[in-house]
Amino acid sequence: MNPILLADLFRCFQGVVPSILATSDGRGVPNITYVSQVYFVDERHVALSCQFFNKTRRNLDANPNAAAEVYDPVSMQAYRLKLRFLRSEKQGSLFDAMDLRIQAIASMTGMAGVFKLLAADVFEVLKVERVDGFLTTPAEPLPDRFSLEGLRSELRGLQWVSERINSAEDLESLLDRVLEALDTYFNFSHAMVLLVDETTQRLVTIASRGYGESGVGAEVQIGEGPIGTVARERRVLRLTGLHEGLRYGRAVRRELVSHESAASVTPEIPLPGLPDAQSMLIIPLSMNKRLIGVLAVESREAMGFGEWHEAYLEVVGNQIALGIDRMVEREPAADAPDVPLPVAAPAPPPVVAAKNKRTLVYYRNDDCVFVDGDYLIRNVPGRILWKLLGEWQRDGRTEFTNRELRLDEALGLPAIKDNLESRLILLRKRLEEKCPDLRLVSTGRGRFALQVAAAVEMVEK
Amino acid sequence: MFAERLRRSLAEGTSVLVGTVDADGVPACCRGVALIPKDDDTVTVYLPVATAQETVANVATTRRLAVCISHPIDHTTTQLKGVTRGVRIAGEHERELVTRSLEKFADILDEIGLPRRITRSVTHWPAFAIDMSVEETFDQTPGPKAGNPIA
Repeated sequence: MNPILLADLFRCFQGVVPSILATSDGRGVPNITYVSQVYFVDERHVALSCQFFNKTRRNLDANPNAAAEVYDPVSMQAYRLKLRFLRSEKQGSLFDAMDLRIQAIASMTGMAGVFKLLAADVFEVLKVERVDGFLTTPAEPLPDRFSLEGLRSELRGLQWVSERINSAEDLESLLDRVLEALDTYFNFSHAMVLLVDETTQRLVTIASRGYGESGVGAEVQIGEGPIGTVARERRVLRLTGLHEGLRYGRAVRRELVSHESAASVTPEIPLPGLPDAQSMLIIPLSMNKRLIGVLAVESREAMGFGEWHEAYLEVVGNQIALGIDRMVEREPAADAPDVPLPVAAPAPPPVVAAKNKRTLVYYRNDDCVFVDGDYLIRNVPGRILWKLLGEWQRDGRTEFTNRELRLDEALGLPAIKDNLESRLILLRKRLEEKCPDLRLVSTGRGRFALQVAAAVEMVEK
Repeated sequence: MFAERLRRSLAEGTSVLVGTVDADGVPACCRGVALIPKDDDTVTVYLPVATAQETVANVATTRRLAVCISHPIDHTTTQLKGVTRGVRIAGEHERELVTRSLEKFADILDEIGLPRRITRSVTHWPAFAIDMSVEETFDQTPGPKAGNPIA
């Protein structure tokens, strides 16, 4: 039988099934504990996270020998590793990668800054062996790491995504096409793109696929939850075995609450996305060190994403960031002349005879617009909607230009990189979901019309 | 006398881990399949014969072992440390107890997404029965109190 390579055990290192670790103190007293994840470092090394200076850590200082048992989450086959503790790393790429996962879990469980990585403990792997007889029926052979057919398919997928990004005419179609391509080619059926709102320093979901109605418009504070953590740290995060990670985090949280650290623990925050996601892959979208947004994909499978997905989505993410930047650059500046309507531009949509009545309320103190008692939108897109509706009611206007929005200081658009197009997409999609009687319809580059199919009452509070 | 907390930990369906060390200070780990209290300061831990050879060899040499009992759902964890009183092959009359313990464990893991058929495929019989005299118990629930002795 061929020797087992550490890389062959990649499924064991995803944190889906907790591993076990035995150590011994200087007097020969053993200690046994769970570890939430053993991290693959390279073919001869693994790492464990050190979050508390516990008995295991003290034992390793006295006796560097250790033994671990790891489990394949698909077959439950066990493997034993004989280890020798080498060093604790408190900075560097390994530390950063392990720290990002812990920060994300900590943020999701209200323990940001409390539950944190102290060190990445690195071990030399002296021996790897399969635990024969662990299962009553022998497990299937380990999967091949590389599949030529799979690689061909993935390269075709990359080509397809790239072509869609390059041929997109506007930001909305770019994002929709990318998410469609990711679903079609890679079964990333739950995906969202969030863009940074420079005025609020929040991330706003601008496009999503696989979340039904609730996706677009969902917001995340930078630094909050896995998505906010990726935005703050500008690093890729792949979370697998999320249920197990959260259970572990909640156990720590429960202990902290009954301990002197209770004051540092904050309530868990509901975040956008699947409530029962088991794995996540989150990619920062940035251009020239400027954060544009975040691409997040989720899965209900514990090992929904592998290392290759991570590398692949980073490439896709770079292309999306380029595409978004290109779209923003293409938007006319506020002082640019109006672009004449194309000859074949569609006629402005008529005001449809109102059958329904909609009451829209603008709350000045928190910059929010509600429709018939339900939250609709806030901040800049909310102010834009209020301006459009006001002019429609006062003057009967239905046609507008991006330029006039840029010139209206009351809207509070940043002078540079105002992301107006993304704000209009957000407004259009929120209206489609929450108030389909109001529509924003493009009538040419930099132009759009307000289509109203209801009697509208506007109230300011 | 076992603390009340420990008695709760000994309920069926918990995960049982066993750590030992050889005469050269090299540790070994093994997953147990059941743990029951025997008397006021002794427990019997059951380990599959197929996977516990190294563990049994270690306790035959050094006698010391550590047993970790953990609830898979909330991670409430207790560690027992002590010495071996004796090792034997579990009798047929103990088989039902060991099988029931694995079944209960499979039920709990099923609740958190690991299908029963996978847990049931873990070898549990024949088993070694190790009687362990418990000298110390520790809270090992992840968090700042992990490692504190339990009175």
